[in-house]
Amino acid sequence: MTTSSPAQRVRPAIGQRSSRFVSTLVVIVILAALLVFFVLPAIWLLLAPTKTAYQMEHSFPLSFGSFSQLDRAWQHLTSFQGGAIWGWLKNSAVYSAGALVLTLATSVPAGYALALTKFRGRRLLLTVTLVVMIMPSAALVLPIFLELNLFHLIGTVWSIILPFSFYPFGVYLVYIYFATSLPRDMLSAARIDGASEWRVFSRIALPLARPVIGLVAFFSFVGNWNNFFLPYLVLPSSSQFPIQVGLNQLLSSTPSFNPVAGKGLDITSPELALAIIIAIVPVLVLFLFSQRALVSGMLAGSTKG
Amino acid sequence: MRSSRITMARRRRRPIALAAAVAAGAALALSGCASATQTDTGSSSAFKEATQVPGSAITVWTDSTRLPDVQKYQKEHPDVKMNIVTYDGSADGSTYLQTKVQLFDRTGKGWPDVVFASPTDVTWASVPTSPSAQAFAAPVDQLVPTSTLDNFAKGSLSPCQVGGHTYCLRNDIAQVVLWYNKTLMDRWGYQVPTTWEQYQALGEKVAKQHPGYVIGSIGDTNSQESYFWSSQCPAQQLVAQNTLKVDLSSPDCTRMADLLDPLIADKSVSTQGFFTQGFNGSKVLMAVGPSWYGQYVFDSAFKTPAKEIAAAPPLKWDGQTATYTGDVGGGIWMISSHSTNIKAATALAEWLTTSTSNLENAPTYPAYVPGAKAWLANPANKDYFADDVTQVFINAANEVWTGWSNTKFSDATPWSNAVLPALTAGKSLSAALPTWQTAIVNEAKSAGYTVVTK
Amino acid sequence: MTTAEIERSTAPAAAGPARRSQRRRAGLAGYLFVSGYTAMLLAFGVFPTGYSIYLAFTNNQGQFTGLGQFTKVIQDFRFGSAFINIGVYLVMWLVLVVILTVVTAVILRSRVRPGLSAVLRFLFYLPGALAGVASVLVWLFMLSPSVSPASGLLRALGFSTFDQVLAPSNLPVILVLIAFWTGAGGWIVVMYGALNNIPDEVLEAARADGAGPWRTAWHIQIPMIRKWIVYMGILAFASGTQLFVEPQLLETASLQRVSPTWSPNQLAYVFAFQYGDFNAAAAISVFLLVLGLIVATLLVTRSGLFKVGDE
Repeated sequence: MTTSSPAQRVRPAIGQRSSRFVSTLVVIVILAALLVFFVLPAIWLLLAPTKTAYQMEHSFPLSFGSFSQLDRAWQHLTSFQGGAIWGWLKNSAVYSAGALVLTLATSVPAGYALALTKFRGRRLLLTVTLVVMIMPSAALVLPIFLELNLFHLIGTVWSIILPFSFYPFGVYLVYIYFATSLPRDMLSAARIDGASEWRVFSRIALPLARPVIGLVAFFSFVGNWNNFFLPYLVLPSSSQFPIQVGLNQLLSSTPSFNPVAGKGLDITSPELALAIIIAIVPVLVLFLFSQRALVSGMLAGSTKG
Repeated sequence: MRSSRITMARRRRRPIALAAAVAAGAALALSGCASATQTDTGSSSAFKEATQVPGSAITVWTDSTRLPDVQKYQKEHPDVKMNIVTYDGSADGSTYLQTKVQLFDRTGKGWPDVVFASPTDVTWASVPTSPSAQAFAAPVDQLVPTSTLDNFAKGSLSPCQVGGHTYCLRNDIAQVVLWYNKTLMDRWGYQVPTTWEQYQALGEKVAKQHPGYVIGSIGDTNSQESYFWSSQCPAQQLVAQNTLKVDLSSPDCTRMADLLDPLIADKSVSTQGFFTQGFNGSKVLMAVGPSWYGQYVFDSAFKTPAKEIAAAPPLKWDGQTATYTGDVGGGIWMISSHSTNIKAATALAEWLTTSTSNLENAPTYPAYVPGAKAWLANPANKDYFADDVTQVFINAANEVWTGWSNTKFSDATPWSNAVLPALTAGKSLSAALPTWQTAIVNEAKSAGYTVVTK
Repeated sequence: MTTAEIERSTAPAAAGPARRSQRRRAGLAGYLFVSGYTAMLLAFGVFPTGYSIYLAFTNNQGQFTGLGQFTKVIQDFRFGSAFINIGVYLVMWLVLVVILTVVTAVILRSRVRPGLSAVLRFLFYLPGALAGVASVLVWLFMLSPSVSPASGLLRALGFSTFDQVLAPSNLPVILVLIAFWTGAGGWIVVMYGALNNIPDEVLEAARADGAGPWRTAWHIQIPMIRKWIVYMGILAFASGTQLFVEPQLLETASLQRVSPTWSPNQLAYVFAFQYGDFNAAAAISVFLLVLGLIVATLLVTRSGLFKVGDE
C-alpha cells in the first residue's frame, strides 16, 4: 500500500498548498467526527457496569465507578434466573456455528458456479437470489415456521440453524468476488490441461477465495449471532433462547424499563450494560482476529485486472 | 458473441410475456372473488378436554414477580412435575403470549398449561384463533367450584367473563387510591383532599409555594386509567356485544381534562411519567395511582424512606354521592384448554389465586377477598406506610367503575401514541382529546368493534 | 476483466468437440456446485415467498380474494403512516450511508497512513458487534439526557427529557443514527476492500495526469467500485424496509410512546399475531416486496450490476 506518490513529492505551488491545507482539514474533521460518533457510546458502555444506577445519572458520564460495583453487577446478572445468561450464550454459539458451517458449505460452491461455470438456469438463480435478498424477513418467518412444523423441527436446534444457513447475501458476495477477481482464462487453461471441475474448484478457486470466504463467514456469524426475529417467534421455551432474545427478556425484567414486572429484581441499568458487553464479546474477539485477514485478504486476492 | 446476445434478448422477452399473462389472468379472476375480511371463528363455548395423562408434567409461564410463588408451590408439592418458564407476563401491552399461542395453534402443540397474563389477553384467549383451533383458555367455571369464584372481589372477575363463561382467575386488583407523602403534607400544613376540586386547588397552591413538587403525573402509559377511568369517562365502554361506546366529548371526560390542564400548565402535575428514566422521585408530594404504587413506585423506584407515604380514599367530584375509581393493571391466571393434566393445572391456578398461605405474602393486593384480608393482616405489607392502608384498600377495591371495558386492544396504545407526545410537545389535554378519540376509534374499528359515540 | 481476456475466453479457437464436452462437463458440475444452495433457496426463500403471495390473494378459508387483502390493508388507518415513516427513514438512511461510507473509505484508502487507517477501520467497525437489540439498548442511554455522555448536545438542541427526544418526528433520525452506528463500519470495511482492488498503476496514471486526490476519487476510484456501491444500496434499502427490531424495542423501552406499528413490518406483525390475520400480513409483505423489486431493478439496470454475469 503506497500513499506517497510522485505528485506528492513535487513541491506544490502556493495556491495548491492552501487548498491542500483546506482538504487536509476537511479530512481531519470528518474522521474526528466519525471517531467520536462511533467510539464514544462504546466507551460509555464499557464504563457503565462499574457504576450504580444512581451514579450513572449523577456522575460524569465517562467516569469510572469501582471494581466492587462491577463485581456486584456481575453477581446480579449471573444469578438472574439461575444463570440463564450462560445458557443463552451457549445457544447462540450452537446456532451461529452450526449455521456457519452449512452456510459455507453451500454458498461458496454456489457463488463460484454462478460466476465461473455455465449452466442453464444460472441467470434465473441469480435473479431469484437477488429477489429473495430483498424479501422482507417478517413476511418469510411465518411460512418458514409452518414449514418447520411440517417437518417436526419446531423446538429443535434445526428450527434455527437451517433458516440461518440460508444466506443469499453470502452467495452474492462470493459471486461478485469470483466474477471480478478471478480470471476465467486461468480456469479454462486448467480445464484444457484435463483437470476435473472439482479439482479446478478446490485447487485453484478455493485457495484464491480465502479472503471472501473469511468475509462471508464473518458476516454470517455476526448476522446470526445478532438475529432476533426468527428465534423470538419460533422458539417456545426461554431455555432455548439465544442471547439476543435473552437481552430482550432482561430488558422487560428491568425496573428501569418495566417497573411493574421487575420489582425485587436486581437487574438495573448497570447489569443491562454488562449483559450487552457479555453478549458482544464473542463477536468482538472474532473481529479482532479476522480484521487483518479481512482487509489484507481483499488486497491479496485482487487480480489487478 | 453476437448470436449469444440475440438469444439473450429473446430470452428476456419471455418473462415479460409471462407476467402479462399472469396479470391478465388475475384481472379476469377478480370478478368472482371472496371477501377479504376474516370469517368469524364461531362460538367459544365448545370446550373439549384434551386426552388426559394423569401425572404428566405441567408447564407454567409466569412473570418474574410471581416466579417465587410458583416456586413455592413446587417446593410444597414435590410430586407435581412442573416446568417453570419466566416471560414478560404480558405487561405493558406485550403481545408475546398471544403470538406464541397463535403459533402453537398452528403446530398443534407446545401450549403452556397455566399462564400469568393481563386481562386484555382474555379477549383473544376465550375465542379460537382460527376455524380449526380451540380457544386457548379453558372455562374455569367448569373446573373451579362456584363458591370459590363468588369469593373474588366484586367485579374483579368481569374481565374474565365472556359469553356466559369465566375464563380466568384474577390474581390481583389495582384499585386507584390517592397516595401522599404524609411527612411533607404535615410539615407544610396541607389538608389531604377528598374531592377533585380540592385536589386542583391544592395543586395550584403547591405550584406557588413549593415549585418543583408534583401532586401527580399524567405522562405514564396508564395515567388515563388513574384519572379518566376514575372520572367515569366513556373512553371504551361495551354497550352491547361488539359495540363500543367512545365519547371523549362527554362531560365526564372534559371535566377531568379541564381540571388537569391548569395543573399541567403550572407544572404541579408532571407530563413526565413516574416510570420515565430520570424521573425525580424525591419531589412527589402526591400521586393518583393504583394500590401497588406504594411498594413499586415509592419504595423500590423512588426509594422514599419508610413511614412517610400514606394512602387516602379515591377522590370524588363535588356533589357526587358515590365514589368511583380506576383500575391500573392487575394480573390474571389462565388454564389451557389443551392441558393433558388439567387437574394439576387447575390445582396450581387455584392455589396461586386463592390459598391464604400464598396470598398473605403476595407482591400485590389479592383479588380473592379472604386472601386480601390475610394480605392486609400481614404486617410486612403495611409496615412501610405512615398510616394503616387497610380500610382504604378494601373500600377502593369495591369502588372500581365497571364502565371502562376490557377490550381486544390495549387502552395504553392510543393514549401513549396519540396523547403523550402531544402533551410533551406542550399541547393541552383538552386539545388532545379529539386526537385521542380518533386514535381509540381507529384501534377499535380495526379490532372489529362497531363504534358508537352516544 | 479486460476486453482482451473476454476475447480470449470466448475465442473461436477453443471451439470444437473438445470444447463442447468440456462445456457439458462444466454445466453438470455447475449444477452440483449450486445444488446445496438451491435446496436452501427453495426451502427458505422461494417457498416462503410463494406461500406469502398465496396468502395475500386468499382469505382464512383459502378462498381467492383477488386484490381484496390489498385494499383492506391500504384502508387501514396505520398503513399510510407506516409507509411514510419508512419512506422518510429510507431516504435519510440511503443518502447518509452511501455518501459517508464511500467518502470515508476513500479518505482511509488514500489520505491516511496504512497503520492509522487500519486502527480507524477497526474502531469504526466496533459498534457493528452491537447490532440488533444491543444497539437499541445502548442508544436508549445515549439519547436519555440524564445519563448520556452527549447530554450537553441534547440539551443544546432543546431536549431536556427522554420523552422529548422520542417525539414522533425525531424517530427517523434516531433510527438512522442507530442503523448508521452499527452498520456503516462494516460497509466502510467493504468499500475499503473494494478500493484496495483498484490497481496502483491506474491511480499513479491519474496522479501523473495531475489529478488531485478528490478528483481521482470522483473520476477513477468511485466509478471503479460502482458495483459495490450498488450492492450496498440494495442491501441498505432492503434492510431499511425490513425495519422491525429497532422500533419494536424503542416501543417497549419508551413505555409505548413509540407507535407499535411504526414500520410496515410491525404492522404486518400486528395483523398476523394480534388479529390472527395472516392474509393481511402477507399482503403488506407483498407491498414491501414489490417496492424492493422496483428499486432493485432500477439500480441493477442503471448500474449494469449483471454485466459480468452476462458474459
